[in-house]
Amino acid sequence: MGLDIRIPLGLIFLIIGGIMAIYGLITRHAAEIYAKSMGINLNLTWGLLMFTFGLVMYLVGKRQKWQDDPVNPRPWEANDRPQH
Amino acid sequence: MTLSSIDWLIMLVYFVFVLGIGFALKRYMRTSNDFFLAGRSIPAWVCGLAFISANLGAQEVIGMGASGAKYGIVTSQFYWIGAIPAMVFVGIFMMPFYYGSKARSVPEFLRLRFDEKTRAVNAFSFAIMTVLSSGISMYAMALLIQTLGLFHGIIPDQYVFHVSIILSALIVLGYIFLGGLTSAIYNEVLQFFLIVAGFAPLVWIGLRNVGGWQGIKHTLPATMTQSWRGMAHASTNTLGVEWVGLAMGLGFVLSFGYWCTDFLVIQRAMAADSEISARRVPLIAAIPKMFFPFLVILPGLIAISVTSHMMPKSPAVSMTAAQYAALPLSEQHPHGIIPVKTDPLSGQAVLDNKGNPVYNYDLAIPVMLLHFFPTGILGLGLTALLASFMSGMAGNVTAFNTVWTYDIYQSYINKKASDQHYLWMGRMATIGGVALSVGAAYLVTNFNNIMDALQLVFSIVNAPLFATFLLGMFWKRTSGHGAFTGLISGTFAALLHHGLTIPGDSAPGIHGGWIAILHHYPSDMAQNFWTAIFAFTVNLVVTIAVSLVTKPRPESELVGLVYSLTPKPVEHHLTWYQKPATLAIVVLAMLIALNLVFA
Repeated sequence: MGLDIRIPLGLIFLIIGGIMAIYGLITRHAAEIYAKSMGINLNLTWGLLMFTFGLVMYLVGKRQKWQDDPVNPRPWEANDRPQH
Repeated sequence: MTLSSIDWLIMLVYFVFVLGIGFALKRYMRTSNDFFLAGRSIPAWVCGLAFISANLGAQEVIGMGASGAKYGIVTSQFYWIGAIPAMVFVGIFMMPFYYGSKARSVPEFLRLRFDEKTRAVNAFSFAIMTVLSSGISMYAMALLIQTLGLFHGIIPDQYVFHVSIILSALIVLGYIFLGGLTSAIYNEVLQFFLIVAGFAPLVWIGLRNVGGWQGIKHTLPATMTQSWRGMAHASTNTLGVEWVGLAMGLGFVLSFGYWCTDFLVIQRAMAADSEISARRVPLIAAIPKMFFPFLVILPGLIAISVTSHMMPKSPAVSMTAAQYAALPLSEQHPHGIIPVKTDPLSGQAVLDNKGNPVYNYDLAIPVMLLHFFPTGILGLGLTALLASFMSGMAGNVTAFNTVWTYDIYQSYINKKASDQHYLWMGRMATIGGVALSVGAAYLVTNFNNIMDALQLVFSIVNAPLFATFLLGMFWKRTSGHGAFTGLISGTFAALLHHGLTIPGDSAPGIHGGWIAILHHYPSDMAQNFWTAIFAFTVNLVVTIAVSLVTKPRPESELVGLVYSLTPKPVEHHLTWYQKPATLAIVVLAMLIALNLVFA
């Protein structure tokens, strides 16, 4: 299909990871929130990790178009190639 | 339980993406081929992740977490013995026939190899099974949402169950209706990564809390932390199954019957962009699959190892801190933070016939999320949980709409319509499938453990099936009449066996023994495994016997469908490490290593 899965995958991790990291940053001194996770700010650390993963996926997805894959043209592209 | 707006925001982002993918793919759905087979254009790694994600539904996450808490690390046998060998087999030996035959579905393969009636049996039984499975997923999700009180204060409590069912049905319907199989596969990839992202920190923090794997080993009895201990006899291990039943029933019949013949998973591999990719799909899937016990079973073990001294600051679910403290860690049946089962109507604790409280093991993973995750990442954890429910449902719905359209509608109802008509029918079948699942969800209420219910459906429908495929693909003499009679007798044998035996101390009825009681099994699981073994054997024997007295099809018609008559897949252009066989060896070596570590 014409949409590379790595782009939406990257975006959702960028957004969710971003939300968590920002929230973690704001609440980094709120000890009562992180008592559950034994004082570890999971939002900040895990959010940043997810953000990084999302960024890598997004960039790779942008760079490597499926059109460059060995099976070319794809069956569904055979009729109308000039779209890209 | 009250969620903060940040948790809701994270869940909302997920649902926007889920539907957004459907909308983004809508314009590519021009032919029925695009809708049902994703245009056979998806790279192997994407299909591979979808392959395990489609299987990673409610029964997997909730059921495996529950079994982990109930039986211990031995539950990982469902992955290690019960999946990996079959996945390697389907990739190396069976995929060339599925993909190479150009069949559009597994029932269609049966028609190519055997005849119309064999296909009909498989198509109808499969269609019913998918609707049931999808209904179970939906029911489990709604029940969980209700138990956790996710919508508490937003929707009146008595409507929560119904609203959850309708909402999940509409979302799954939406994205499959728009983007077909591609949309389902893409969403399954998202779900895969979200499940990993949501559960990995849970396991990490949980392990830190209980002192790592060594801490768990220290707290729990040895039978729960060693996957092969006490397998010599049914009474000495927690599953209540001896190793013959486990290896033959789960490891061979049920597992091969599921992973090698179930269109739900095979469909993902059939969407791959080439035969080599299709063969790699189950092998790629096997690698994360092998490590999933650490994500879904380990939380169950951690949940029962956590002692009450680590109390949450705020009361979670419907339990209070006092209730936590009241649950001691007993020597034989530790239950840690697993809550007592309560009657949803009266709110009273459910007691067994000896007056002891019954523990709701199905809540092992949800309780872990609430126990360890602060606001923010809790939203992610719940998203991961909901994602797994959706993937289970969507996988069944896409398999159903394909089998319905190609193998039932096109074969028996309307043979000569235009491709556009079948594309339209596929969309209608999606609506129909979702509607039937909703019906099934309301039917499924009699089972305590979702796993048991699903194993029962598998045993009866899936178990005899593998014998048919095995003989069909590897013995050219197998005839259509043989396959058909074998399949019917196998299914009948499964029913008969279930009706004549009963596990442990259950009452005759849904658990078996509804004809007469000839044999007592030590557990539900042992009964399921042996039902499968009987069904398989009967099918095998009957198919061979009938095939020997009926006329086989001419060999020229079987090229591409039977092993001995099909040219071996061309692999000259691949270097040694690109060959599927190399990947298969790597997968098997990792499997052996894992088994040795946790033996």
